[in-house]
Amino acid sequence: MRAEFFGPPDDPEIASHGWPARVQVGDDWPARVQVGDDWPARVQVGDYGASQIRARDADSPQNQTAPRVEPRDARHVSHIRVIRRPWAAVVAVVGVVVISLGVAGLWWAGHTGQSATPVGHPPVTPIPAGHYAAAPEAKTQFVPRPTGLVIPAIGVRTTLVRLGLTATGTLQVPSSIGVAGWYTGSPRPGAIGSAVIAGHIDSVSGPGVFFRLREMRPGELIYVERPHGSMAVFKVTSVRRFLKAKFPTAAVYGPVPNAQLRLITCGGTFDPSTGHYMSNVVVFAVLQPPSS
Amino acid sequence: MRAIKVTAAAALATLGLGVAQIAVAAPFASASSQVGWIRLAHFSPNTPAVDVYLYSFGNSSAQLVLHHVDYGTVSPFEQVVAGDYTVAMRAAGAASSSKPVLSTAVTIAAGHAYTVAGVGPAAGIRLEVIPDQLRTPPGKALVRVIQASMQQDTVTVTAGSTTLASNLKFGNVTSFVTVGPGTWSVQAKGASKSVTASIRLVAGTIHTIVVLDEPGKLVIDDLLDAAGSKVAPNGGAQTGFGGTAARPGATLAPWAAAAITGLAITVTGTAMLTRRRRPARHAR
Repeated sequence: MRAEFFGPPDDPEIASHGWPARVQVGDDWPARVQVGDDWPARVQVGDYGASQIRARDADSPQNQTAPRVEPRDARHVSHIRVIRRPWAAVVAVVGVVVISLGVAGLWWAGHTGQSATPVGHPPVTPIPAGHYAAAPEAKTQFVPRPTGLVIPAIGVRTTLVRLGLTATGTLQVPSSIGVAGWYTGSPRPGAIGSAVIAGHIDSVSGPGVFFRLREMRPGELIYVERPHGSMAVFKVTSVRRFLKAKFPTAAVYGPVPNAQLRLITCGGTFDPSTGHYMSNVVVFAVLQPPSS
Repeated sequence: MRAIKVTAAAALATLGLGVAQIAVAAPFASASSQVGWIRLAHFSPNTPAVDVYLYSFGNSSAQLVLHHVDYGTVSPFEQVVAGDYTVAMRAAGAASSSKPVLSTAVTIAAGHAYTVAGVGPAAGIRLEVIPDQLRTPPGKALVRVIQASMQQDTVTVTAGSTTLASNLKFGNVTSFVTVGPGTWSVQAKGASKSVTASIRLVAGTIHTIVVLDEPGKLVIDDLLDAAGSKVAPNGGAQTGFGGTAARPGATLAPWAAAAITGLAITVTGTAMLTRRRRPARHAR
């Protein structure tokens, strides 16, 4: 017979496991003897079918006495090596490619486009000129619409766009990262109630209008410009961060009995799988009347 | 040596406890919700103007003084630290050291608002602490009525077909009624006089309607007590695209796993090549 195999009886490794018991004809690991296997097509079984060898191997005690297969000659081995080497080589090449991908991914994931924490000083933004709005009266409810926002402490100077709701009922956000917007469903800034202004912390590549919002501290002033030179001036009372999943809707949008302002942007961890930050930063502020 | 170790462990434990306490205490210390609101009002028709003082409890100098508050006047809400306060009323221009005509204690709870009003006739004026409401049902407004007319002993107040107050006696206040948003024709009707006013109620707002005397007639004052958004947006705001965000460390793991897997595949492939060379040697 001319069955092929790759481990002669005197191979130390094979011998240590007992020969020929170690010749696993029909086994799922083809490395040693390729007969009746997944890859029989590549093996020259000669005159004997794989099934014949398997049957003989399985049933008889006499097959312990001597190998039923013979070492092939050098010419045959060389032929098999040529046939089989590309497969293993492909495995090795695939491995190298996967390593490269992994290393490239590590480099990409470890890379940060811009410092997460603002560095340096915000641009110098002068305090706007204009007269401070008085505390709103419960009986006179007219307050002019907001047109601009100035926050000297974090270098913000922007016009205000008008924001509504999205189709899913979430807060619409400005289409430009460079401007902030007033939510028209909320009271006007300077009127009784909780006025809401939102702006982006960043774009996909750089800072947005509220990039430094989280740096605000209690006591700092926010100027909301209105037509005819009047300003509603607010003093920050607190700066908080909330998980969007646990957003305090009542505290941000619910009724309050005096003129207050909330500035909203994103913060916390950015989730690349959703393309959104997981938290919101909210600045709470209260109207600062002219005399104080 | 053992004693030293035990001491060190105790010190570390104490330090850990201290840190834990600070960590727990910090959110409360920075919370802005420890404030409440108070406003002062004069609803006694035949009582002359008064000066109204607000004292933090146990403090003899006033935190807020409103001068010459006359009938029908309502101050804006004052934001104050939650706690105990005293409201005192003196005749307009009386010395701040003089004995008040009236005074009352009021406890301001965090996140709550109160109206302290002088009500009733001059002969029997009293300071009433009226709790305010700061939450509306979604898409609705809240309205209540204060009857401050002496000419009409009782009034009935309606908004469209909704009754806000029915035969409400002078010096009394109703509880809040939920009303849909819109512009309403509000009528106050007494035994001999009535008045109608057009009042716009926006969703998310809370109003107090005060029925007042003016010479020979009734008037309605619409007070905006509090306001929020008409519709509260769902959840948070998507105000960022991540361009300045640190890439979270968690995303490193899959790439590291890929690199390690690739290494394993390469080693396996190389091992298979190596192992195959052995039979070749033997065969030679």
